[in-house]
Amino acid sequence: MTVSNSTTRIPQSEADIDDEIADLEHKLAEAKIRRQRFKSSASQPRIPSPSSKTDSALPLGSFAFSSGLESYLSHQKHYLPSSPQGQPSPVTVFISSFLPLSLSSYAATSLPFVLAAARLVSQPSQLTSAALTALDDAQDAAIPCVVARRASIAQGRALLGIWERSFDGVVRHPAAVTEEGAKQAEEALRGFATLVRKSSSSTLASSSASAAAPTTMDEDAPPASSAHLAPLFGAVASLLGLAPEEAAYVFLLGHVKALVSAAVRAGMFGPYQAQRTLAGGEVHEMITAMVEREWETEVEDAGQTVPVMDLWVGRHELLYSRIFNS
Amino acid sequence: MNSPFPKSSSSPGKGRIVVRLGPDGSTSRLETCTYQYPLKLITPMRPSQTKSALVFLLSYGGGLVAGDTVNLSIDIQPGARLSVVTQGHTKIFKSPTPDVVTRQTLTAEIASSAALCLLPDPVQPFEGSVYEQLQVFKVARGGSLCLLDWVTQGRAARGEHWSFVRWTGKNEVWMVDGDGSDGERLLVRDSVILDCKQVHSQIPALRDAMHGMGVVGTLILRGPLMKPLGEFFLAEFAALPRLGARDWRSEEAKKAEEEKMSPHERWRAERIQCEKENKLLWSAASVRGCVVVKFGSPEVEASQRWLGSMLAKEGSIARHFDEQAMMCLRCH
Repeated sequence: MTVSNSTTRIPQSEADIDDEIADLEHKLAEAKIRRQRFKSSASQPRIPSPSSKTDSALPLGSFAFSSGLESYLSHQKHYLPSSPQGQPSPVTVFISSFLPLSLSSYAATSLPFVLAAARLVSQPSQLTSAALTALDDAQDAAIPCVVARRASIAQGRALLGIWERSFDGVVRHPAAVTEEGAKQAEEALRGFATLVRKSSSSTLASSSASAAAPTTMDEDAPPASSAHLAPLFGAVASLLGLAPEEAAYVFLLGHVKALVSAAVRAGMFGPYQAQRTLAGGEVHEMITAMVEREWETEVEDAGQTVPVMDLWVGRHELLYSRIFNS
Repeated sequence: MNSPFPKSSSSPGKGRIVVRLGPDGSTSRLETCTYQYPLKLITPMRPSQTKSALVFLLSYGGGLVAGDTVNLSIDIQPGARLSVVTQGHTKIFKSPTPDVVTRQTLTAEIASSAALCLLPDPVQPFEGSVYEQLQVFKVARGGSLCLLDWVTQGRAARGEHWSFVRWTGKNEVWMVDGDGSDGERLLVRDSVILDCKQVHSQIPALRDAMHGMGVVGTLILRGPLMKPLGEFFLAEFAALPRLGARDWRSEEAKKAEEEKMSPHERWRAERIQCEKENKLLWSAASVRGCVVVKFGSPEVEASQRWLGSMLAKEGSIARHFDEQAMMCLRCH
């Protein structure tokens, strides 16, 4: 019975079987391609390799800011009396605690603004001066801390200056953006820069006066624009040809580099350990995980994931001696 | 005579409070106070205070069960004042699955020269709970707001330490043109996202990210009535001792200086000592016409005492809203 069955099943020649195998293999390959496409289109950010497009050191003055690291170290020292068993090494503290916490906090609060601005550039006639101002204003409202605001604005204005003086009219429009869209985005940046200059000249006098006497609970509307780093970074990076996921990656890598360099200058470890930290796969993985976490976060839903970070950064003002601005 | 039990409104979890200035021009009266399960609003039958209307924001059973939705809208008419308090921590019970979200939404409109004081007990999310809170305040020119939003680690006695699934809290303060046109501007959007999901093995888990804090919170102040209080917080923050400064004075010199201290300086010195012992950290910042105070401490009571002491010392809350507005900050 079984014998007769098996004989009736294979009446074909060897060539038939070969055909069948080829057919199945073709189907398999097709299915694999479809699966690959599905994977990449299902709002999964494509992350560039860490070495590409991240080498340029934009002169943003980021070295002046430690993003709460200096304050954190001081609080650890003065609020947590050293235990008799001894403290973990500064390298461990930095790599396993402060760096990832700072990265998570920075990504949650800023990345949605980078991505929103970057996506506006790639959509024709979306990045207008008004749209950029709205993003900038929304981020200004979302930073509940004077020190963090200062750092964000200082670097944002530096980037705007670099764009105006070095990039405007020089960079070739990226392929992903239509010629018209790129022109319009450039126009938007120019308009925004003018607006920033206008509102900063009108508020400079009042803000320097308020620094002396903290009496700023008036009911005047806040200035229209401040020039925060995140939305400007998204817009400029897109005009330089970075895709939104690349812009987000480079933005966070810049933060990590600034933190590592701050740690070196704060005496936590030396330059070899610094390079080791940057070269390690963990930083790349963590940044990738952060970009994925914030990939679909709307700017209205940006928020603080590490509340104690606000306290450390806010209390930077209280340090007796400081080498950083934040 | 008004019934002590306000009528129930029709939609689940919905509540509405309207406060208007009485004919005497100084007493605030509750014109509307409706609520529906699981929300419960209670107002004292014979109000003992006159400076502001008082409402207790409660829930049946003293907490919100998974999937409960509370949606409260508050409307404070020109010149009127309202204090909102709670009776004990707002407990958030465990959700069966992470997609069952417990929600509280509050929208408040504060007219010109009107004021809202929202000083509730903290929210206490239990292990496994999923909670989302949104509070939107539209403040007209001349209107004032005092808003406290704080969250604890859960039931510390049961070993809970930020053991919930997710807790998000968002507070928005909007500036509204007095004439009721659509001229609105967002002033502050304070948003905290606490999520137990660890997206990468090297990113510390939520309980480690909280760095030993048992409670964290935000106080937001806006408007002319709160201006002295906001400036008080900024001045006290500026007067905090520098971290890492050394005290080179001799014991005698220290003593001599302590004797010369004004009562306010003495109070400050004692408070700073308390802050240090309790590992309480706080900061105050002037943000777009508001003052935002952030604080946190390992023990809930330490923050409660600290905030109560600051508000009582400055006096604006008692002066404009009455002592009862601060009842959640009294230690039990």
